Amino acid sequence: MNLEWNGQETIPASKATVWEFINDPAKIASCLPEVRETKISDAHAFDATVGVAVGPVRGKFTFKIVLEPDAGGSHMDMKINGGGLGSVIDLVAGADLVAQDDTTTVLNWKGTASMRGPVATVGGRVLDTQARRVIEMTFENVKKRLSGGSA
Amino acid sequence: MKIAVTVNGERYERDVEPRTLLAYFLREDLGLTGTHVGCDSSSCGCCVVAMDGDRAVKSCTMFAVQADGHEITTVEGLEQGGKLHPLQQAFWDQHGLQCGYCTPGMLMTSYVLLKHQPAPNEAEIREAIAGNLCRCTGYQNIVKAIQQASTELAAEPAAAAVGS
Amino acid sequence: MATTTDDLPARHSLGKSMKRKEDPRFIRGKGRYLDDIVLPHMLYLALVHSPYPHARIKSIDKSKALALPGVKAVITGEDLDAAKLEWLPTFHGYDKQMVLAFGKALYQYQEVAGVVATSREIASDGAELVEVEYEPLDPLVTPFQAREDKIILRDDRESKTNHIYHWEVGDKAKAEGELDGSAVRIKERILSPRCHPAPLEPCGVLADMNKATGRLTVYMTSQAPHVHRTAFSLVTGIPEDKIHVISPDVGGGFGNKVPVYPGYVVATVASVIIGVPVKWVESRTENLTTTGFARDYHMDVEIGATKEGKVTALKVSTVADHGAFDAAADPRKYPAGMFGIVTGSYDFPTAFAEVDAYFTNKAPGGIAYRCSFRVTEASFAIERGMDILARKLDMDPVELRRRNFIKKEQFPYPSPLGFVYDSGDYEATTQKALDIIGYDELRKEQAEKRKSGELMGIGVSTFTEIVGAGPGKHFDILGIKMFDSAEIRIHPTGSGIVRAGTRHQGQGHETTWAQIVAEELGLDPQELLVEEGDTDTAPYGLGTYASRSTPVAGGALALAARRIREKGKKIAAHLLEASENDVEWKDYKFNLKGVPGKSVTMKEVAFAAYTNPPPDSEPGLEATYYYDPPNLTFPNGSYIAVVDVDRETGAVIVRRFLAVDDCGVVINPMIVEGQIHGGLTEGFAMAFMQEIAFDESGNNLNTNFTEYLVPTALETPHWETANTVTPSPHHPIGAKGVGESPNVGSPQAFVNAVMDALAPLGITHIDMPLTREKVWRAIRDAEAKVS
Repeated sequence: MNLEWNGQETIPASKATVWEFINDPAKIASCLPEVRETKISDAHAFDATVGVAVGPVRGKFTFKIVLEPDAGGSHMDMKINGGGLGSVIDLVAGADLVAQDDTTTVLNWKGTASMRGPVATVGGRVLDTQARRVIEMTFENVKKRLSGGSA
Repeated sequence: MKIAVTVNGERYERDVEPRTLLAYFLREDLGLTGTHVGCDSSSCGCCVVAMDGDRAVKSCTMFAVQADGHEITTVEGLEQGGKLHPLQQAFWDQHGLQCGYCTPGMLMTSYVLLKHQPAPNEAEIREAIAGNLCRCTGYQNIVKAIQQASTELAAEPAAAAVGS
Repeated sequence: MATTTDDLPARHSLGKSMKRKEDPRFIRGKGRYLDDIVLPHMLYLALVHSPYPHARIKSIDKSKALALPGVKAVITGEDLDAAKLEWLPTFHGYDKQMVLAFGKALYQYQEVAGVVATSREIASDGAELVEVEYEPLDPLVTPFQAREDKIILRDDRESKTNHIYHWEVGDKAKAEGELDGSAVRIKERILSPRCHPAPLEPCGVLADMNKATGRLTVYMTSQAPHVHRTAFSLVTGIPEDKIHVISPDVGGGFGNKVPVYPGYVVATVASVIIGVPVKWVESRTENLTTTGFARDYHMDVEIGATKEGKVTALKVSTVADHGAFDAAADPRKYPAGMFGIVTGSYDFPTAFAEVDAYFTNKAPGGIAYRCSFRVTEASFAIERGMDILARKLDMDPVELRRRNFIKKEQFPYPSPLGFVYDSGDYEATTQKALDIIGYDELRKEQAEKRKSGELMGIGVSTFTEIVGAGPGKHFDILGIKMFDSAEIRIHPTGSGIVRAGTRHQGQGHETTWAQIVAEELGLDPQELLVEEGDTDTAPYGLGTYASRSTPVAGGALALAARRIREKGKKIAAHLLEASENDVEWKDYKFNLKGVPGKSVTMKEVAFAAYTNPPPDSEPGLEATYYYDPPNLTFPNGSYIAVVDVDRETGAVIVRRFLAVDDCGVVINPMIVEGQIHGGLTEGFAMAFMQEIAFDESGNNLNTNFTEYLVPTALETPHWETANTVTPSPHHPIGAKGVGESPNVGSPQAFVNAVMDALAPLGITHIDMPLTREKVWRAIRDAEAKVS
């Protein structure tokens, strides 16, 4: 089962600040919703254990997350791969930064995911909105953190 | 966790792991294997038991600790004084079972149904047992059996009460 | 030739609706199913499954699972390979099957590792901790993708193709020539979709290796315990005398409990290694995703006919999806089972059928679900085909069938595809169905309704089944001839024990077997204990599936009883002080010919067999019979469904359903009716709700009972039944078997009825299951075309 989503956040911070933020695994990890545990493995990668509740599929999923920034400082791919309870999720979230002015940056994001196992079959009907919500919340949290609030 | 449950009129005090399902508590801790498990999605109803005499519950969807302080009736508790419950007799008379796997859950759902609705019509019976799957009988003889039991219970109301 | 049961002569115990002898324990919750058995020091097995339909296994890390307190062992394909236990033979012997995925995982949910622990919860926790690294590969989701051979599924096989076999029967050139020359011709691709038998009790095993005695006891949910004992011996190398298979009460089978599954083998290996009992009971998801599926035949059906509606030729070309291993338990000579029954009840001058089977990234299986070796697919193909032809001819579908029925005087009837039908009176069975349902009135009502745009449909299925394998010269499992067996011991006081090589799963053998023997011996069926399922005590048999119990073991029982009667006659002669030639068996006792009132009963004979046997004779009264039937049996039936389709929602209401069956001589009418009710309900499920479907990435979409639907009492229609009796001429008691007729015969009656309802919209065919959505879409598309 393959899914696709996209969205946009307007963040009250300079493009360089946003770029620096999303390049930091520790900061990104703190923005993921339902995170129970994170382990930073290197400058661009971390492991996260998250709570999952998709229909009757409930429990812990473990993901490897790799940040792949483009040299230009505007585009970043976040590759999320992992799963649990006999299910596998491969997700790519791409973010494009566009400076609106010195203190405002627009973050356009696009996510694609493929899923296998019970999460795709049992949870198929609710998965689409749930996965979209997870990505939305992540970028909302990025915005909140950069607006001075706490995520 | 320590729990006290009355099953088929007998009080049991047991220490159970909090995640033990009522179905496995009955089957494995108390050895009452008449209560069956047939799916993992609370769909089949093989595990239905009566709680406090008037509620049909799927014991695979309840933790044993949730039964603390309650009275449970399982299929083993239907027969009284060596006499089959009219439902048991009727399932036998009407060929309301084949492989027998759904039968305990089907009996307990019917038992609770007849407590609330002593004279259900066919549509009411079919609706009441819609949470109990049977792969063998096509339900027709089960419906007939419940109708037979309903008639018999009307003639001798005392037989309806079990374990209380 | 056909009669109703009312016309039969009064019998001692045959033909009576005796209440079931097995029921007292079931209604008390005292059945003993596999999971009810608990042994001291027992461990539990949980399996790890592949989330990918096709993936290379790069590594398996057991360490975290092994570190969990309570986990006793973690077993992988590599471990099994080292012990030479990685591959299982499939039942027809042409392929082999992995026990645990080794090198590659070949279908989603395939078993990859097993975790053995002190409780079922710890075993499950341990399975979660096994870390498997996969390299996903592109999956083959349909047999049509597989046939391109762009991806080769099976690295282990010499021939680098996904094509498993081509099988054909009949005269291709002649059939095609006749089709070309036919005045009227139809062609339709008809799918018999992948579905699953899903008995309520899941499959399971409890293996108990006793290191002191060297004996392995295997309790398992088995429809064929002896075959399983032989298979276990062949796979493990343990001598067969050291293996004891016990099939306890079985909570439904429908073919699902014929194959040997990886969980059985892993639990057994674990018990042999650890030396304590190991239990494995599958979850519903494991049941639906990994164990024997049914059908998955894509059939191109072509029929030629004259303008008058006389059929001239039939050609059926099938593409079969067998999943990752060719594990269909078909006999060696018949890789497509008895698909040759596809000419059905009709006198085709020529016919041709072929099947090409392919590997795909799906679970193996392929014959189960209340069906005698591909008969359901064949019957569906011909009965749908005849309806489509009737529509093209603008002829009533019953009239078309009647013009082509094999006539009763044509039996024994050699079909163009090689079977010899034993008996039948299709015209009489059909006439009875038409009379009961009021066919002409229904057609009138339909014509009225059509005027106002209402969608009412009447569907018929006048099917012929083929069941009762053997004969051993044609049919085998693992090379073992498909006979069956019975052993009868009559005790001194005239009661007895009856054992058979079959294993019931709800069919009522404990009652019907007693009735057969009681009928032959004039004894009380209540005093004949029937025992099956224990390989230490039962005679060797091939088991219960494919409606073979009554045709084969039923014959063995009657013939074993007749052996008892032969010996009894000698004893009776001794008691009557007469010559054996002067004694005859009549009215259920031994009579001195020509001397009324001078007789002895079997009970008296039994007592004498132990207390006063004739001099120079062997004491005791018991007999065994291994029966290899001379032919198959051919039950038939005429089914009629009446439906109303809601134009706005696509909902189908089955208003009436009548099944008139002819299964030959009936042993117990109550049980036969129960079998028919159950089979019709399964046919209804296939027609309207059941399919194991996959998405484009190979995800199984129907993995539990919220996605794979079993009809509840609410949807299930009210069933009407009746019968005719055309005895099988070759069966010892004239019985034919009935368990599968309603399942084989009913799906097409439902589908024909819905297509008949949709005829005014020009809709010819919709593949099963006819869900509300599918029917609604077809109506919407058809209406869009018209406007």
